[in-house]
Amino acid sequence: MPAAIEIHDVHKTFRKKVRALQGVSMQVDPGQIFCLLGPNGAGKSTLVKILMTVIHASRISGTMLGMPIGHKPTLRRVGYLPEHHRFPTFMTAEQALHFYGALSDMRRHDRRRRIDAMLELVGMSGWRKHRVGTFSKGMQQRIGLAQALLHDPELLLLDEPTDGVDPVGRREIRDLLIHLRDEGRTILINSHILSELETICDQLAVVVKGRVALEGTVDELTSGRRRWIVSYEGAGPEWDAEQIRQDGRLTQVVLPGAAARDVQPVIDRIRAADCVITEVSEVRESLEDLFMRALELAGEDDAATPGAAKGSDA
Amino acid sequence: MSTWIAILAILRESWLTLRAEKLFKLVLGLNLLVIVAYASIGFDATGVSIFFGLAHVDSEYIHEGTSLAKTLYLGIYSAFIVNLWLAWAASILALISTSSIFPSFLKEGAVELVMSRPTRRSTIFFVKYFGGLLFVMVQVGIFTLGAFLAAGWRVDVWDPAIFLAIPLITLFYSYLFCINVLVGVITRSTLTALLATLLFWFATFSIHTTDQLLTENLFRFQETAIRAEKRIAELEAERDTANAEQDTKEADNVEHWLQGPQKEAAAAREAVEQLTPWETTMGIIRTTIPETDRTLALLHRQLERNSDVSLFDLMTGRGFDDEDDPPRELNAEEVAQRKVLAQENQIPAWQIIGKSLIFEMIVLGLTLWIFRRRDY
Repeated sequence: MPAAIEIHDVHKTFRKKVRALQGVSMQVDPGQIFCLLGPNGAGKSTLVKILMTVIHASRISGTMLGMPIGHKPTLRRVGYLPEHHRFPTFMTAEQALHFYGALSDMRRHDRRRRIDAMLELVGMSGWRKHRVGTFSKGMQQRIGLAQALLHDPELLLLDEPTDGVDPVGRREIRDLLIHLRDEGRTILINSHILSELETICDQLAVVVKGRVALEGTVDELTSGRRRWIVSYEGAGPEWDAEQIRQDGRLTQVVLPGAAARDVQPVIDRIRAADCVITEVSEVRESLEDLFMRALELAGEDDAATPGAAKGSDA
Repeated sequence: MSTWIAILAILRESWLTLRAEKLFKLVLGLNLLVIVAYASIGFDATGVSIFFGLAHVDSEYIHEGTSLAKTLYLGIYSAFIVNLWLAWAASILALISTSSIFPSFLKEGAVELVMSRPTRRSTIFFVKYFGGLLFVMVQVGIFTLGAFLAAGWRVDVWDPAIFLAIPLITLFYSYLFCINVLVGVITRSTLTALLATLLFWFATFSIHTTDQLLTENLFRFQETAIRAEKRIAELEAERDTANAEQDTKEADNVEHWLQGPQKEAAAAREAVEQLTPWETTMGIIRTTIPETDRTLALLHRQLERNSDVSLFDLMTGRGFDDEDDPPRELNAEEVAQRKVLAQENQIPAWQIIGKSLIFEMIVLGLTLWIFRRRDY
């Protein structure tokens, strides 16, 4: 099955000075949730805008849904939620959805049907006749998601989809994204909230200073850092110094890269020493750890530093 | 078909945007007030009534059923209401309302939602542009309908040429709006776009007025020179007669009187020589800018085509059919004004509109080029 997005050597330089993207290449497989991570100014939003033809790339090759990047008719099959989007404030939720649906070439009767369904999906059915200008940030975000989904796209590009949404709403959006993925849609998410992406992300790329520092499936990227930890109380058996660490009254045996089978003899030894095992857990590298590792790899030690480079190689 | 769905959606969005503007309702209200004031002017057997009879002006010549009444009524519409109200006050209000169309559309967060669609940027641009002109079209449309009904009711003239105000005012407005859009697209600032447009308008107005004044003065001095030379010829004939009759005193007197017209003719010829290069230069400058004034004047030209008397004649006390009190001779200034008017009326409409549209197309082409290439 061809990739949903496949891009090579994407460059973007603004006003011949700011090098926002410096040779980004990546592949998003169909039916996956792909997370694009990176510090502020790394070029993530620029990349998404290039895919959506909002920004012209200085250089690009690749395809989206099998068609060259920039092919306008393909955008009928793509849903997009920009960061900090703003709807015409004088429009009602229904009018706004009609407008954006029509811009995606949806016929009126299709729009009517889908608007009902989408407002229901994002929990805004009761607000269809209210002006968008009166909505809270979270409600506008829900309408934003509804417009991105309105034309039943195969591919969704979401830039900070949970921005301004309360915890309950975030959970609902997360569940919705999983549901959409399970329906076979491909989703590319740009987000800063790594903990949210942790549970839903299948593939990811970390962009730093306009370059991809890390890319792959979550399993691939974190498997090397997987470990088991057995915590117990009391004076136990002797271990190699690098294998244990002390956490108050607890002793922890750390088994990097071990499988569950490898943990069993360790448990047996502790039990034989008549110690009380308090916890046995498999620990994977978190997205935050992965993110920080990517920054280190890219030589970026401060995540808050804007990533775009000025002038020559930064 | 798919493009039409998007085009209609953008037009509808423009309409909703305009309808949401408080100024739209304000201008509509003011337009209705002006039309009611226009409709309040009526004619009876003894003269003209104003404000539905609140005031009355007796007139022997302008009263119910006369062609002068028709000329006056349509002249008030084309020369004053259209030229002053629609072309100035209402246009300024329209500019204030529509200046925000492109800057608002290009704001971060709003523009991405539209540019990321299958619709081409050029289509979005032109439909948005046309959407801005909708403001004027709707306002002038309602206004002219009122004027048409008022003219039919008051002077029994049911002239569809009144509706020409819709395309002509829209054209006039589009010459200004293209500058507004150009600056709006470049700066994304409503205020800058508005100020730049007003400045451009002021510049075109100044150039047109200067050109017209120069032409008018050139004609006036030419007329003065002709009249002075005619007077010189008459006096020289009188002097020759006196000399022939050997009336030296009379001949000396005439010789003395000759000095006035001779000085006047010399001064006028000198003024013509001085003004001619300026008038030519200003004419050349004028060819590079849109014909705002002349486009509006086309309406007046059309409305006068069926009248027995022109508004100019009416304003200069001519056209009154009175054998006992024949009209006075026009002075040099009035002759010059009449010549300018005649010269203006000679310019074909296609030339006025065509030249202005070429200017507009160049500006729009440049704006579209920027609009399409830009990153949002």
